[in-house]
Amino acid sequence: MPPNHLLRLTALRRLNSTSLRLSQRSYATTPFPEQDIYDVVIVGGGPAGLSLASALRSSSVTNKLKVALIEGQDLGPQKPYKPKPGTFSNRVSSLTPGSVRFLENIGAWKHIQEERVQDYHGMKVWDGVSNAKIIFSSDLLPTAPTIAYMCENLNLVSSLLSRLDELGSTEILDKARVEGIEYGQDDGELDLTSWPVVTVSSGRKLAARLLVGADGANSPVRTFAGIETRGWDYGRHGVVATLRIEDVEQRKQAYQRFLPTGPVALLPLPGDFATMVWSTTPQYAAKLKSLSPTDFAAMANAAFRLSHVDLKYILENMTSGLAEEVSWRESATPRDPALTPTHIVDVQAGSVASFPLKMRHADSYISERIALIGDAAHSVHPLAGQGLNQGIGDVQSLVRTLEHAVQHGQDVGSLLSLEPYYSEQYLKNHMLMGVVDKLHMLYGTTSPPVVAVRSLGLSAVNALDGLKSFIMGRAAGR
Amino acid sequence: MSPIPPTIALRPLAPPHLRIAVRGFSVLSRPPPAYPHHVPLTTPERILLGAGSAIVSLINPRRADMIATCGETTATPYFIYRLRDAMLSDPVGRRILKDRPRITSKSLNLEKMRAMRDGTVGREYVRWLDREGVSPDTRTQVRYIDDPECAYVMQRYRECHDFYHALTGLPVVREGEVALKAFEFCNTLIPMTGLSMFAAVTLKKDEKKRIWDTYFPWAIRNGLQSKEVINIYWEEELETDVVALRERLGIEMPPDMRQTRAAARKAKKKTEKTAPPA
Repeated sequence: MPPNHLLRLTALRRLNSTSLRLSQRSYATTPFPEQDIYDVVIVGGGPAGLSLASALRSSSVTNKLKVALIEGQDLGPQKPYKPKPGTFSNRVSSLTPGSVRFLENIGAWKHIQEERVQDYHGMKVWDGVSNAKIIFSSDLLPTAPTIAYMCENLNLVSSLLSRLDELGSTEILDKARVEGIEYGQDDGELDLTSWPVVTVSSGRKLAARLLVGADGANSPVRTFAGIETRGWDYGRHGVVATLRIEDVEQRKQAYQRFLPTGPVALLPLPGDFATMVWSTTPQYAAKLKSLSPTDFAAMANAAFRLSHVDLKYILENMTSGLAEEVSWRESATPRDPALTPTHIVDVQAGSVASFPLKMRHADSYISERIALIGDAAHSVHPLAGQGLNQGIGDVQSLVRTLEHAVQHGQDVGSLLSLEPYYSEQYLKNHMLMGVVDKLHMLYGTTSPPVVAVRSLGLSAVNALDGLKSFIMGRAAGR
Repeated sequence: MSPIPPTIALRPLAPPHLRIAVRGFSVLSRPPPAYPHHVPLTTPERILLGAGSAIVSLINPRRADMIATCGETTATPYFIYRLRDAMLSDPVGRRILKDRPRITSKSLNLEKMRAMRDGTVGREYVRWLDREGVSPDTRTQVRYIDDPECAYVMQRYRECHDFYHALTGLPVVREGEVALKAFEFCNTLIPMTGLSMFAAVTLKKDEKKRIWDTYFPWAIRNGLQSKEVINIYWEEELETDVVALRERLGIEMPPDMRQTRAAARKAKKKTEKTAPPA
């Protein structure tokens, strides 16, 4: 690929000032190879990093930038996503219509396996202590018939990789772990002292005009930039599982019940499958993971049907016979038939897993020649299904910022160019994380006055169709 | 816009007794009973019945049906659910809810209990029944609690009331009932038992003094510190030693009320003899 003229311009500009001092200067022994100098180096091959690479390459403004993507895992097996038929991965994300529109615009959505994506049109959320409910139905917003799409992360990653293959010219280094990041040197010709240089496990070094950290919650790029994160651990684990359900609805719904230990959500997948995310204490999570498939399926049903007192007793005291106990308690516990999801029949073998939940927000999304997107910038509680959508929002904003910078002849890595991305995204993300955190706190108690007030509030919002359609519109990313 | 398909109809509906708790209704559309003797009430009906039965119970405490009605109408919301949750949190309580045993003269073999060793729960219970001249059949059926499981909890409480008498040794006179109700309120938190404490105003002067000085402090102290008495599976504890059971629960015996009352009556007669009426 011919060298990018913009590339040399910044580095060479310094030649005039240094030529007078040639005799005094000490050089780097070898000049930095030009093929290892990139405009944008993206660290992290997850949905955020791959979306950014695809978006940069699809945009007619930024497709002249030299882009590299570094990923520690082997991306080969992920490229044609060929899962075992009749199984679904337990790592599934909810994509808002706004995120899907973005993926369509960058040309990645056409590569997705649509038969493995499930759109849903209703959402039922209720308080596990008082049974106050809020029901979102797509009838409220005729312009947005779908609330969201459930898509396996592997399906999404595979579609983005296919798009990158289609576009070409992106250097993807997979199986390449980041060994270190440091600032470059001045070799007399090119002054890379403000450029981050990434060393990967193969020994290769890449110099980046802009280094983008899309490398997850423990981002090495963020550590290198010295950007701190603030937040807390929730002391909760999210237990995920792929389940088989009994009745298949024509218009699929998502169900979420707020228990005092954390919310449990049942999200639809194609056919008679569903995915469950249960945020609960680490002890309960460990107990759930140790159960037999029959007992686990019984507890999954119990999570939506039994009182929290029952769930507490069963998870703390019983080691066997859970299915019979749940069956007895189901016959004695009153429930709202409109709110109860269909009976869960079975759990897919090997799909039960858990991960710790935390909230983190980086102090800044940018630094000189550094930008952070996705989980590297923020971690949020999964109760609103917004984590991946926030990351895609970051990508959209960063691409717009870089397009503007390129069109105005700016250095894409300078703080001046990156500032609009930070200012556009930070407050938006912070507010969403704040609301999700307060919801978690509000529903984490059984204290009667708090329960009474929050139930009254929820029922009031449920009665206001106008407010509900507003919320749905905002959540859909309009 | 296509019509919404009947997704709810596809799912098997919960049986009527499990749906009643979530639906409001009017007097013109009263739902069917969820269990035998059940009478669903609207909120205004419940409030009126609760107030009326409380007043009648105060005037005439022999109206056991009014006391029962007062208990049932004031138990919701919250209090009976709290008691049911207390049973669900205890392994023995859960077994009671599963088995749903009933205490009647037919279900308890009184002759067998009379033959038991002195000092066992069974023997002391029958001794108390004989001393007070009551039988286990005098309890009315629960009618005004909508949830069948909570209705059973109320019924269980009512049927175990005599066992609580035997456990504490309190007699069936008004003074004894008020003291026991105070103990039950601090232990089970059923509102009617708390309201019954107001019946202390109808007691005689010396009874009131005894209640205030001795029995209320005893009741409050023991009601709060002892384990939940609703979680005792009486049918299994008949051969247990009463003293051991009291220790297990953390209950101390109050002063014997019948003896105290008899001694007080004797002392009063003596003073009346020595000081002739003016």
